[in-house]
Amino acid sequence: MKRLRILEPLAWVGPAVVLIAVVVLWPVYEMIRSSFLKISRFGVVQGGNGVANYEKLFGEKDFADIMVRSVIWVVAVVALTVLISLALAQLFNQRFPGRKIARWALIAPWAASVLMTAIIFKWMLDPEVGVINQIRLKLGLIDAMGGASADQLGDASTAMPWLVFVAVFVSVPFTTYALLAGLATIPNDVYEAAKMDGATRLRTYWSITLPLLRPALTVAALINVMNVFNSFPIIWAMTHGQPGYSTATSTILMFILKGSNIGESAAMSVVNFGMVIILTAIFLRVSRWNKEVA
Amino acid sequence: MNMKLVGGAALGLATVLVLSSCGSGGGTGTSGAGDQKSSAGGPVTLKMVAADYGDGPGKPNSGETFWKGVVDEFQAANPNIKVEVQVINWNDIDKQVATMVQNGQVPDILQTGDYSGFVKDQLLYKVDEVLSPNVSSDMLQKFADFGKVDGAAYGIPFVSSARALFYNKDLFQKAGIAEPPKTWDELKADAEKLKKAGVSQPFGLPLGQEEAQAESFLWMLGNGGGYKDASGKWAINSPQNVETFNYVKGLVNAGLTTPNPGTKDRKTVWEDFGAGKVGMVNGGPMSIPIFDAAGLKNYGVAPIPGKSGPLDTTLGVMDWIMAFNKNGHAAEIKKFFDFFYTGSAAQKISDTYKLLPVTNGGIKKLSGDEKLKPFLDALPNASFYPFQDPKWAEVNPQIKQTIGGAVKDDPAKVLGELQKTADAG
Repeated sequence: MKRLRILEPLAWVGPAVVLIAVVVLWPVYEMIRSSFLKISRFGVVQGGNGVANYEKLFGEKDFADIMVRSVIWVVAVVALTVLISLALAQLFNQRFPGRKIARWALIAPWAASVLMTAIIFKWMLDPEVGVINQIRLKLGLIDAMGGASADQLGDASTAMPWLVFVAVFVSVPFTTYALLAGLATIPNDVYEAAKMDGATRLRTYWSITLPLLRPALTVAALINVMNVFNSFPIIWAMTHGQPGYSTATSTILMFILKGSNIGESAAMSVVNFGMVIILTAIFLRVSRWNKEVA
Repeated sequence: MNMKLVGGAALGLATVLVLSSCGSGGGTGTSGAGDQKSSAGGPVTLKMVAADYGDGPGKPNSGETFWKGVVDEFQAANPNIKVEVQVINWNDIDKQVATMVQNGQVPDILQTGDYSGFVKDQLLYKVDEVLSPNVSSDMLQKFADFGKVDGAAYGIPFVSSARALFYNKDLFQKAGIAEPPKTWDELKADAEKLKKAGVSQPFGLPLGQEEAQAESFLWMLGNGGGYKDASGKWAINSPQNVETFNYVKGLVNAGLTTPNPGTKDRKTVWEDFGAGKVGMVNGGPMSIPIFDAAGLKNYGVAPIPGKSGPLDTTLGVMDWIMAFNKNGHAAEIKKFFDFFYTGSAAQKISDTYKLLPVTNGGIKKLSGDEKLKPFLDALPNASFYPFQDPKWAEVNPQIKQTIGGAVKDDPAKVLGELQKTADAG
């Protein structure tokens, strides 16, 4: 009986372990295994393929550009999101008339489907009829509708900023709310103490708010890093990664490859997976997440 | 204490059971279908996946509405066979079907743009297993021949379409152009006149992901080029094709086309044509409903201009219907196919979507339609994509993604990359 007692915790943790194994570890294993197989376009395994899938992937003309673009995409979107959210969280932490409505309004981009948001922005940017271009025409920023100057999504140099903008737009609500929750945990007496010591507002923010906000900030930024790296609907709906591959990130490339070569697509997934882990590790190191606040 | 232990173990066991039954849910479904097949005479459900020729869900001409009409009629005549149709739009159908096959959830019937990719994996029934001889002998020979791989027919032509040049007569009049262009240089001259008259897109050029392979092919044909040469070898970067794209690039740079063609889908450009923003555009019978919906009435249809004269051929596109062999059901599928081709359904699809038939009988039935006549006439001499080459399935997505670059960057380089994809082992 005593022996069984030792096993008792297993009965309680077991289901969770099984769950993780089935929905997390097994797909990862399958993904890595697929990347070494030769698989037809329709998923029939035609045997092992060694590292040929990786060789083909790394040999793609646009691969290096796409990887660099993916990193820039993540850094740009997450940095802008966090900066804007820090300011918004500070604002929404104040008491002002209509705060409740403002807080609710912020949820809107979060509640709306990301795909829908992306399609709406694509419409607003339509070169012939898009409302944003009509405004630009009225402001005299463009000469006429329908031309190349009204077609911002048609060229990578103008499309990327819009893609980043939409990505920030849909990421800000969650981040702001995470930071808002963090702000609520900071006790009032530290602020009072700072005030007594004569600290300026800026100093208070830098030396008290930010350090105490770090756990919330770390979690919010980390979730954003992973989300944005794997982000698909915004770019797909707005540009399909075109022209060519010039607005594609690695997730878009993975999806395009899936249509013609599943093994290569799986290899791309493995590289993606590795990138997320590396980015996360770098991020955690930089933010020293497990160090206590000094 | 013992009770607690037993309780814990029971809970753990129950969870494992629930989880494992979840995991095998899909498998149970397929084996269930297999059981139905063996118990002959019992009701059989055919799963069908079809592309949407209409304007999407909710529209009166949606694929759902069309297929519901066909299926209701079929089920009334065959109470033992149920047909479940899942309609998917063209942009997503290839990828969604690929996912289904990858996950082992293969439909019984698939209606889409290509069949050849499934042949190599031996996923399809041969045509004579699922289609009666009297139906298959009525098929247009040239079309049916394209359904064969290594002499055996797998794909059944479903509908077809041909292309021609649509031009906006009002805009042409405004620009002082009397006749539609016959050559590239005339096209360029007309486009310049349209541009002067304030038309924002004189020539609509959709080289974006949706159907870049079609627009490109029409231009290639105008210079005696194509995706393959006469001997059947890939010739995407042939000198003719490079010359063609250099010419088109000139049009783009002069601002005579849709801006950034490599990012524009045909649907957008056709809608712009319907809205009177585009002077001329290559289209087919299936673009007529889009123009109608946008309220454009005064347009003409002409043969597509080539380098030195109008094309004597056109792009013939056929869509296919095919039967998967995984779930059995050959007899039931045969009934459904025969019903579709011999009944009113095939004609209804031509009427609803302005698609061209693939049977001799169908063409005869439609020959009275004035609007469709130019296209019906062009069908016999049509040129086709190199569908039968399994490589096409790999080359086509690349064309869709990158060929737009040939009118922006160096055509020889962009076409050369595509040629490399086609030539690679």
